[in-house]
Amino acid sequence: MAAEASASLLARRIVIVTGKGGTGKTTVSAALALAAAERGLSVLIAEVGLFEQVPALLLGHGAPPVGYEGRELRPRLRAMRIDPFSAVAEYLGLQIGSPRLVERTLRSRGLRQLMEGAPGWRELITLGKTWQLEQMRLADGRPRYDLIVMDAPATGHGLSFLDVPHVVRSAVRSGPLARNAERVETLMSDPDRTLVLPVSLAEELPAQETAELVERVRDDLGLWMDRVVVNAVAGPPPGDDPERLAGILRSLPSDVALGRLPPPGAIARAVDHLAARQRLNARYVDEIARRTGLPTLSLPVVAGGVTGPEALRRLAGPLLEAPAGVGDDRRPAAAPGDPS
Amino acid sequence: MTAADPLDTLRRHRVVVCVGTGGVGKTTIAAALALEAARRGQRALVLTIDPARRLAGALGLESLGGEPDELPPRARAALGIEGDGRLFAMMLDMKSTFDGLVDRFAENEDARSRILANAIYAHVSDALAGSAEYAAMEKVYELLESERFDLIVLDTPPAQNAIDFLDAPRRLLEFIDSRVVRLLIHPAFVAGRAGFRLFQRPGLRVLEMLERLLGMGFLRDLSEFLLAFEAMADGFRLRATRVREMLLGPRAAFVLVAGPSYQAARNAEAFLQHLAGQRVPLAGVVVNRVRLWQDGHEPTPHGDGTTAVDVEAGAAAIEAAIRATHPDADAAALAEAACGAATQYDDLVALDRRNSAALRQRGEALGLFVRAVPELPEDVHDVEGLRAVGRALFADADTDATAASGPTATGGAS
Repeated sequence: MAAEASASLLARRIVIVTGKGGTGKTTVSAALALAAAERGLSVLIAEVGLFEQVPALLLGHGAPPVGYEGRELRPRLRAMRIDPFSAVAEYLGLQIGSPRLVERTLRSRGLRQLMEGAPGWRELITLGKTWQLEQMRLADGRPRYDLIVMDAPATGHGLSFLDVPHVVRSAVRSGPLARNAERVETLMSDPDRTLVLPVSLAEELPAQETAELVERVRDDLGLWMDRVVVNAVAGPPPGDDPERLAGILRSLPSDVALGRLPPPGAIARAVDHLAARQRLNARYVDEIARRTGLPTLSLPVVAGGVTGPEALRRLAGPLLEAPAGVGDDRRPAAAPGDPS
Repeated sequence: MTAADPLDTLRRHRVVVCVGTGGVGKTTIAAALALEAARRGQRALVLTIDPARRLAGALGLESLGGEPDELPPRARAALGIEGDGRLFAMMLDMKSTFDGLVDRFAENEDARSRILANAIYAHVSDALAGSAEYAAMEKVYELLESERFDLIVLDTPPAQNAIDFLDAPRRLLEFIDSRVVRLLIHPAFVAGRAGFRLFQRPGLRVLEMLERLLGMGFLRDLSEFLLAFEAMADGFRLRATRVREMLLGPRAAFVLVAGPSYQAARNAEAFLQHLAGQRVPLAGVVVNRVRLWQDGHEPTPHGDGTTAVDVEAGAAAIEAAIRATHPDADAAALAEAACGAATQYDDLVALDRRNSAALRQRGEALGLFVRAVPELPEDVHDVEGLRAVGRALFADADTDATAASGPTATGGAS
């Protein structure tokens, strides 16, 4: 276990899952959290979006939301939604020490207006809450959570999300806020404790955005990444020569009776489609690897879609595999073309 | 009430806004809508958020710039734009657009440079929730007012919270108008009068709390920024009202773009609900990249509510057909592969249909047009891809019966 620890996604305290919208960040987060819990770790999965998706992924459609309070959805797997307003109330309560004052203040229209418009605090308080969760200890001194999986906002928003502690530290020079921001930044930039896990699709725009994300996270923010998850990578279509198969199908008389199968021309198109999808995906998996300089980890398309623990488990195997090139070396991977 | 159709939407509006969560192909749909308008003789502009390079390539442009670029003649011809039709494309650079706002509304050069140099501005312009989106809307307003275009189609940033950018000006103004900010803007006034008793007035407890949390240095920067910003608030407020009126008024139409995956369709339903409750002028729902059987074949129903093609009966038939026409081929193996592919694809067709059924029904119940755009096997960002998306969106504009299940399928969503 220890030998492979640093290569394992389960070895960190915090995994921040991020990427372009629609790439399956939440699915990957849920699959990782479930896999960790089923391997004996105590896990928290934290969502930040407005609409909770994790309960439905883990328990099926219609599962009630878990809210800020959180709930254990599976053995050893707790889920919560980090709602910034709840987190700020909790934080102010700790800072000010007078819950009544905090409650009264937060009810004030002035402050609500201020908070609606004020930049950055949502991100900071969310990360601050994550810091606090990481610090939680059991009576025997062991961490309350072995692993915290954070389903971060989509990039665009996601980058300013990861950027915020740094920004706050440059704008606020003293006081509790500056100290908090510093603590959060220290935790986030510690490669032993925190890993940023970009999720992409093997398509043009996600590949491009992933390359930009990795560059910024590595060069500007100095956070640790060691692989890119490429989601829903299509496998090869059945048969060993799809092109020939499609050609033969097209040459069959179009009115040939195939029972309840679609006509041969439609099957030919389906074969073309599956083959083209696979080629396209393979091309962009290569491009992601080349442009990020990071090993990629491809997840398969799950037939029937990903809902419920069964489908999530099918992603766990490939997700926990250490991609070639991820080892004990803690230096950020060299940028492509970097001679060092 | 008859459902709107996509062509009608293009004809009757000046701005079409494509909204939706990330990764569903808003950029592609926006480009296909603008292209269709140009093909029908309008001067159309597509505004993208992503630096979609392959889309730029398909439009015959090297890249998408910060000002409208017209398609070169060769690309016009390839895309079937003739006569008076003109198509322009550009990408919104949000950061520079926000600087542009400051340029426009700052009272004088001094105020302008004070804002642009302020440490907080640098972060605010990036981070202020929705402000970048709002700045983008400003640009749209400016382009619309220029009368250079009959139609502007825009792609919006991924927003989980529906229409952040519409709320952004209100939030920004409320922020500036809020009492706490007032106190921050005029700290000298407050401190001068009240001296050390400053924080004893109950209303100032908030300020006290902020000070304890933030430190006075930050408050000074913030106050300086707000003071500078306040000077431009009036111009900003007027403009924000007009932008809002433009987007919620009769000149604009919203098209919700959704993906067919379970998660994407659920998100889109929530989104639709939210938009419908916000007086947003919704016109249609496009479910993008749906796997469909062409030629009108329907997914084969299975007993348990799922579907599967009837492989066994089909395999023998296909093997016989191949043997009859290709005596040298390994008919059994080919038939097996064909059936395997048919089964795989049929699962995908059925899955997409199941996932998006509720969304389609919801859209139709709201009187919106609902279109499915088939997933194209290759990258959609080439000339053929754009044309194919256009055909899916518009070819069946007159026959509502086929709308829900795609361009060539015959059945409804059963």
